[in-house]
Amino acid sequence: MNSKSLSLAELAALVRDLNASGTSVVAPVPTRSLCGADYRPITELNQATLNGALPRRSLKELFLPASEVLLRYRLKKNDVELLPVPTTFTPQVILGARPCDAAGVAVLDRVMGWDYRDELWFGRRAATTIVSLACPGFDGVCFCHAVGLNPDASLGSDVLLVPRGADAYWAMPVTDKGEALLARGTFADLVEPAEVTAFRKAAEEKVAKNLASLPSGFHTFMAQSFDHPEFKAIASRCHGCGACAAVCPTCHCFDIVDEPEGMEGGARRRNWDFCATCKFTVHASGHNPRATQNERFRQRVMHKFSIYPQRFDAVLCTGCGRCVRACPAGMDLPEVLGHLYAAQAAGGVS
Amino acid sequence: MNIYQPHLMRIDEVVAETSDTQTFKLSFKDPQVAQQFKFLAGQFGEYSVFGEGECTFCIASSPTREGYIECSFKAAGKVTQSLKRLSVGDTIGFRGPYGNNFPLEQMNGHSVVFVAGGIGLAPVRSVIWNVLDLRDQFKNVTIIYGARSVGDLVYKRELAAWAVRHDVKLWTTVDPGGQTADWKGEVGFVPAIVEKAAPVATDAYAVVCGPPVMIKFTLPVLAKLGFAEERIYTTLENRMKCGLGKCGRCNIGPVYVCKDGPVFSAAQIKALPPEY
Amino acid sequence: MKELQDLAHKLLSDGAVTVVMGWEQGPRGVRPAMITTAANSHRLIFDPRCVHNLATYLNPRRSHLKSLGKPAIVVKGCDAKAVAGLIRESQIKREDVVIIGVRCGGVVRKPTQAPELTTDTVSPRCGRCDAREPKLVDHLVGPALPEPPKTCSVDMVARLEQMPVQERWAFWREELSRCIRCHACREICPMCFCSTCVADKSRPQWIETSATPRANLAWQMTRVMHMAGRCVGCGECTRACPAEIPLGLILAHVAQSVEQRFSYRVSDDPTLPAPVGAFKTDDAQEFIL
Repeated sequence: MNSKSLSLAELAALVRDLNASGTSVVAPVPTRSLCGADYRPITELNQATLNGALPRRSLKELFLPASEVLLRYRLKKNDVELLPVPTTFTPQVILGARPCDAAGVAVLDRVMGWDYRDELWFGRRAATTIVSLACPGFDGVCFCHAVGLNPDASLGSDVLLVPRGADAYWAMPVTDKGEALLARGTFADLVEPAEVTAFRKAAEEKVAKNLASLPSGFHTFMAQSFDHPEFKAIASRCHGCGACAAVCPTCHCFDIVDEPEGMEGGARRRNWDFCATCKFTVHASGHNPRATQNERFRQRVMHKFSIYPQRFDAVLCTGCGRCVRACPAGMDLPEVLGHLYAAQAAGGVS
Repeated sequence: MNIYQPHLMRIDEVVAETSDTQTFKLSFKDPQVAQQFKFLAGQFGEYSVFGEGECTFCIASSPTREGYIECSFKAAGKVTQSLKRLSVGDTIGFRGPYGNNFPLEQMNGHSVVFVAGGIGLAPVRSVIWNVLDLRDQFKNVTIIYGARSVGDLVYKRELAAWAVRHDVKLWTTVDPGGQTADWKGEVGFVPAIVEKAAPVATDAYAVVCGPPVMIKFTLPVLAKLGFAEERIYTTLENRMKCGLGKCGRCNIGPVYVCKDGPVFSAAQIKALPPEY
Repeated sequence: MKELQDLAHKLLSDGAVTVVMGWEQGPRGVRPAMITTAANSHRLIFDPRCVHNLATYLNPRRSHLKSLGKPAIVVKGCDAKAVAGLIRESQIKREDVVIIGVRCGGVVRKPTQAPELTTDTVSPRCGRCDAREPKLVDHLVGPALPEPPKTCSVDMVARLEQMPVQERWAFWREELSRCIRCHACREICPMCFCSTCVADKSRPQWIETSATPRANLAWQMTRVMHMAGRCVGCGECTRACPAEIPLGLILAHVAQSVEQRFSYRVSDDPTLPAPVGAFKTDDAQEFIL
């Protein structure tokens, strides 16, 4: 399919058409304080903000909710009845996703499909079409370029929109699902116009300044640097609060708990969990393999830049910068990466 | 199929091993699942008490004994304490088998030395019975088992059965001070008894499970006896939730205990960062 | 600033302390700093971006900081209340910490903002401040500063109190629906010092860990009750919350209730017993049947 031209009015009509046909539409909606946005369902395009407000939390919760029922159980005398939850979901279109958020979902497909296929994740994936909106570069924290992405990356997106002025978009279908979505309207073909190319180039240049790209062999260096002095006091100011993981588009660790609902039954839920917390790895005996904040923060950095690349051939970070913006103690991942780059350049392993 | 959905199992038998340790004999309620279920020695499962949650431990019976599985657990946390309150006829959940297994194919045709401490005998027991049920395929079999006190020894009936077998050399020991007046076994810590028993390392494999401190001091003894690190196997017990490589909790560096383990050779463990 | 840096230099080079907990300029805005050598004392700063309540780092749960040895800590008046709270509740000993007080003229809302204080940028809590000069100090540094400008934000505590119950309930239901139970509010709180939090206890499970409406309410209400007479109003929980839930509003309301009912206002005097820790025969107790 050729790329298309979409006016704001056509996009608004598409939102109405989707809602009318039973497909829910999710988009960044301004918060009450208007200082940010949340990904939320919309019925009309004018409820959304497509002008660059950064959703406070990433897209991951639309596929891996903060708390989700895995199954329900009913207790009978000596017996248990299990009530499975559905693994098929209502179709939804996410409109105006950040490319870094969409990429996060694609990166997570790898672990969610590793040997055992997580049907709750992939059920939602199958039901969802992601229309991302190329980003002009949000602020000086953004480092998507450093992790091999870009403000206009199409990884994880089904359609990529790039703004053309204030009220029109250039739409590039990325997947079959994206083509199917664009086939719902009669949108005019449009070869990538110069202003779109210029927008994309300007955004890339802006973000590339924030942090140099991961050096080649970085994950190997990291794998050999478990005891590097850089990690010794790396997290002295870290509170272990887990806010970084909560807002991260790729942090996916979870807990599984049973919670009664009345006397006869209840729900088994999976809840987000946070490697920064003391409780995460502690054994029933009280022994904790990651005893202090330094080890826990190292685990987070290692998971993203060494373990995941080794196991799944992808960096578990899309450079969205939310962890930096959310951290109440000023922990700064790009700064840490900069130090590690320098350590690698200096000859690496201690 | 939702991978987090457990199979239902009936508790067919409960054995109180010690004051806080029990063994359940379990069978699948669904005959089709029972028919298809296969596992290997060393693999583990997620056992659930509905309303309390899931907990992780190995399958303690041998894959050569079909139609049921056994598990042994110590009432330590929320779920294991609830498990302890169940009795014959009750229903629990089971997901598994997960993880890798002890390399029985490699061990075949060789001697095997089993070293276990406390409840660490549970995963070892699966291998022991696997080997004993195929006894003619293995050379010498030595079992060295210790616990804090006589009361803390698990599988007492089986210890008695192994003691009288001529094709098994069994050493049992309790920590100093843990013996009773009629205790006929050894008194001393497991590593010391391994040194005393001095099993021949030639053509032999070792399987070692128990508290971290026991493993730490047993490995050098086995090395001194001539066991290569590649021929010593143990299990790691990092905390896990999913058992499926998803929940991000059990990793030690790039190694996921739930997927790459729980069985590791001493050589493999030496290469890991010390987060276990 | 020089006065602060010189003092830190002296304390570290004399060996009086082995770490000075203060603020430094980070890559983006101001952030906490652990200064362990006299040579690094020049990194210490103090200005209206020094929002963080560093007393949290004295909390005994910060096990990774024990290896840094004896601390000196830089505190604003509001932070000094938290140090006093930790002493009052026997979490630390007065003699185990050197307290460097700074005179404060108000802080901005976020440490990444510009340091200029205006009616827009000033933290709303500074309008309620009664401790611009800390008293619980070993050293007091910095010039006396003018009063901070009054915030232009509406007084949400007052507004919520005037709301009909249904409306207030709707407000909190909506806000708490975003809680994801990361417990960042607890982890950053200088006064959340329990070695095992009630929310982490599983035998019995007092509070469910899921991010469901009833569990979120149970958690936040429990924490608020535990903070009665303890909360120093530093606003760190609100700042840390990745869901941006205005937790400080409930805590401010509770602080007002404690003051009205028990004539107790949290201060930096560690010898004043807190209402939860002291028995008084004339305490209001009409709720006891």
